[in-house]
Amino acid sequence: MRILAVAQNTFRESVRDKVLYVLLLFAGVVIIGSKAVGWISIGQDIKIIKDLSLAGMSVFGALIAIFVGTNLVYKEIDKRTIYTIIAQPLHRYEFVIGKYLGLSLLIFGVVVLMSIISAIYIVILGGDINHWYFIASFLVFMKLLLVTALAVLFSTLSSPILGAIIVFCFYVFGHSTGVLIDLPPNFEGTWSKPLLQALYYILPNFSNFDIRSEVVNGVPVSYLYVIYTIVYAILYSVFFIYLAVLMFQRKDV
Amino acid sequence: MNTIAILKTVHLTKKYSGLSSKEYYAVNDLSFEIYKGEVFGFLGRNGAGKTTTIKMICGLLIPTSGKVYINGIETIDPNSRKNLGYLPEQPYFYEYLTPRETIEFYCRLKGIDAKERQQEWLRLSELLDLKPIADIRLKNFSKGMRQKIGFAIALVGNPDFLILDEPMSGLDPVGRKHIRELIQQQKEMGKTIFFSSHVLSDVEQLCDRVGVLSKGKLVAIGHVREVLQQDIRQVEVVFKNLDTALISSLQQKGTLTRTWEDYFQFRFENISIANQFITECLQKGAVIIECSPQRETLEDYFMRMQIVEDSQIKKNDIYYSRVEE
Repeated sequence: MRILAVAQNTFRESVRDKVLYVLLLFAGVVIIGSKAVGWISIGQDIKIIKDLSLAGMSVFGALIAIFVGTNLVYKEIDKRTIYTIIAQPLHRYEFVIGKYLGLSLLIFGVVVLMSIISAIYIVILGGDINHWYFIASFLVFMKLLLVTALAVLFSTLSSPILGAIIVFCFYVFGHSTGVLIDLPPNFEGTWSKPLLQALYYILPNFSNFDIRSEVVNGVPVSYLYVIYTIVYAILYSVFFIYLAVLMFQRKDV
Repeated sequence: MNTIAILKTVHLTKKYSGLSSKEYYAVNDLSFEIYKGEVFGFLGRNGAGKTTTIKMICGLLIPTSGKVYINGIETIDPNSRKNLGYLPEQPYFYEYLTPRETIEFYCRLKGIDAKERQQEWLRLSELLDLKPIADIRLKNFSKGMRQKIGFAIALVGNPDFLILDEPMSGLDPVGRKHIRELIQQQKEMGKTIFFSSHVLSDVEQLCDRVGVLSKGKLVAIGHVREVLQQDIRQVEVVFKNLDTALISSLQQKGTLTRTWEDYFQFRFENISIANQFITECLQKGAVIIECSPQRETLEDYFMRMQIVEDSQIKKNDIYYSRVEE
């Protein structure tokens, strides 16, 4: 129950910090983007708007996860609000997990609202929306859960600016981990090849969550793949939160 | 006095060391106990290690070595804090919450169920007069009001043991009086209170025992009356109707410290000299307006201890004067 109290408070804090303004930004980008797309595309507007909306969810969601997430524990220590919290009969892991769940709940709300806003807009423009659009949105949310876990981990380790830079690098690099395995022939026989291949398997692969082009073009995606991706996100997130708890367990606040 | 130890620290030590800096002991081998129902004052100069000790007791800092027990439970177990209320120095809260939401939040952290939370809000809002500000966000609050909220948080769940770190710090006289009354009230309710303060007059008024920390070490612990030197050090006497001959006679044995209208204040070095002159003056028609023996105050004691501190503290300097009752 204490975890829920911390989670609810984190959610409330983010809402009152006006984090939800990012929704207005998202709506603005989708609408203005769709107008621009209308001028350059020939009969492909709806596909591009769907693509733009799903990409927008990922980018704006990641902005919240990175900037709020890397501040989450650090801010409590910096502003000393943590003093009266840790002095309660609360395990430190309850605090970290509560903070993570609170931000995850907020991101879930943001993704739900963004997918509803974009779906309504697409329908208004004459497009059709099926359940795969929402499954693609849900996978975006799963990816953001992972980014949030990484951000919370860095929040227990470093300053928000350094943490945000590192997590942002992870985010960008995580979308193109394929380059680590598709190495040019001149890497053959060098020590860097096994190292880069090991990195490929260690680093989270964010492109796994990206079924945008399939959904937009009506290419079928198996449900098994969706389940695999969800399990992938959960396992990585649990691992990062476990590390965050370990880091925070003996931290002086 | 009750001898059940509510708080016990055993060889508590906090050492800081950096790659480039020398090792530094913020708290060094601190062992003491606080007993049920007593008000314990924790004194020391800035940087003496008071807040570090309090933070280790509350689980905010991890001791380098040593242990802390609250009600017999080691503080690495958060359950040790079930019956603890903590008011940090200059308390910080979630600015976006109102007092009502803040109390509700801390009730949940204390594990108080939904039904009792409302009762708890009513109890605390009445005790600390929070109703008029119940739904105003804390970011708009003054220092005094924040201290009140901090006190309310410390009292959530009606804990038996309160730790107050500089509770009067930065408050105006009215605010200080209010907090002092609250501490007194909690004391009368039988709570055990451990508080650090720089306001020595408050400590003298409120505390049963005091502990003095210097450079991370406990240099004195005991009842206030035992720690202070109780011998009368000087006597101040205010006379009226003194003639010139008496004044010059008095000036040979005492010091004229102040005059106003036809009043003369003299200070004598001991009570027997004072007695001798009081008798003589009364026989010669003078009037005694006031006679006040001067004993050591906590402030004097504190200054005396600082001299000891400055001349290098050794472990053997620690003396322990608790009287078993």
